[in-house]
Amino acid sequence: MRIYGFLAKKVGDLTIKYSNFPESYVKRSYEQVYWKNPSNYPQYPKAQVARKHYRFTTNRPWTSQFRMQNDRNMHRKKVFVEPVGEWSFFKGDRVEIMVGKDKGKQGLVTQVIQERNWVIVEGLNTHLRVVGKDEKNKFPGITIQSEAPLLVTKDVKLVDPETLKPTEFEWRYTEEGDKVRVSLASSRIIPIPKTAEETIDFKSKELYIENVDKDTTGDAAVKITFAPKLRTFEMDIMEEMGIKEDREPAKSFWY
Amino acid sequence: MNTAMISTLLRSTITRCLRVQNVAKIIGSATTRRDIHTTTPANDLMEFFDKKKNWGETNIRVGRPWKLDELRLKSNTDLHKLWYVLLKERNMLYTMEHECNDKMRLFPNPERIDKVQESMNNIETVIRERNVAYYQLETGETGERPVEDVVNLFGLREKYEKKEYYIPRFMNTRWVRPYLENGFITSAAVKKFYRLYKEKEYNVERKAKNKDFRHVQHLLKRFPDMSMETLKAEYPNVDIEKAKRSRKARGHFMPKY
Repeated sequence: MRIYGFLAKKVGDLTIKYSNFPESYVKRSYEQVYWKNPSNYPQYPKAQVARKHYRFTTNRPWTSQFRMQNDRNMHRKKVFVEPVGEWSFFKGDRVEIMVGKDKGKQGLVTQVIQERNWVIVEGLNTHLRVVGKDEKNKFPGITIQSEAPLLVTKDVKLVDPETLKPTEFEWRYTEEGDKVRVSLASSRIIPIPKTAEETIDFKSKELYIENVDKDTTGDAAVKITFAPKLRTFEMDIMEEMGIKEDREPAKSFWY
Repeated sequence: MNTAMISTLLRSTITRCLRVQNVAKIIGSATTRRDIHTTTPANDLMEFFDKKKNWGETNIRVGRPWKLDELRLKSNTDLHKLWYVLLKERNMLYTMEHECNDKMRLFPNPERIDKVQESMNNIETVIRERNVAYYQLETGETGERPVEDVVNLFGLREKYEKKEYYIPRFMNTRWVRPYLENGFITSAAVKKFYRLYKEKEYNVERKAKNKDFRHVQHLLKRFPDMSMETLKAEYPNVDIEKAKRSRKARGHFMPKY
């Protein structure tokens, strides 16, 4: 009933995957809960007072910029995001731009912002931005090129690997049962690039450098030490630690 | 725990402890153990704090939490040890977070708490799975705390978690049944409450449905070429044909018909 509102999923899966954080952390880092009833007390209903609407932009939900943009007294107009169903644009994809001053140019996707149906294409669809301007010290600031996001529904199209032309595509299954994107122009598979699994912490899973103090080594993590026995966890641990227990528990009643 | 006391300790105590916090050191102890071990670890209060070299750090990057499938490979003893490693780590993280807040510093990588907690939850799940398997094989029951579907005193359906008592129910005069017998709602007060509660529940649902309908109208206005299957999948309770016919769904253009 009342919990529906905050059960709704707001942050996209790809964002969470890219952040490499547990979902619970992403949630608690961007949520603004002003009041929450104590949990596990029967007299309190499960209710909370929290910010309901967040403006998602190119700033990632766990950053301080996001927090500043969604400050407590900041309320901005609702943004309507077209439902796209299954997400099909990944980091490293080659896309062609269909609108704007870079119309017809091809580039690689560098960022995916699923909450707004946006992708950012490397070096394309840019505008000039002045940063670090200081009136007092008469510093004119530095002008940089900044990429603007593009809508995946209208502004970009995936590039066919054979014809190198923009194409429509479809999700299909291969005979091995893998789900792939298939170009409708040439029926070729458009592979999901390796860069799609890039996160903040590492380029790919194999390249992650373990923290020697804190992390378990990969070999130790996959080592099989489990041998099935007809015992509960407690019985096993008691035997391991040499705890003998011969007392019979008294008869008890559950109601 | 007294924070001031800990702060003084932090300043005065010379760190002598040699903390065994690495899971690898415990699970893969055969590979990392030294042959001659001369000092005994000093298990003092400083174990609640991180290693001194991590104190000023701004970024302490760690790996991902343990997955269920990985934990299923581990023996009960390993899980037992891992639990205490994680428990100590979680205590350490909470202490460091508290201390950082106290000293107005930024606590580096707070997601570590969530990672440790997720691992601990996964350990609990795996152990529960193993115990349930044992009890089902031996007794045909799960061995979990019994739960009953009841109707509570407000006339609402509820899961009642039974408790353990040393005397049977008929002898226990102090036990008051916290739910209605047979699920019958006989009292006028309960009936009235239930009717009003249902009305409130219905209104919440109605408002949510109307909100979705209005949202779909706006979507249709803004994205007239949108795929209707995706829209239907996203909003299954909305009558899209009705929304299309409405005035609100029409954009600022001449109708096509």
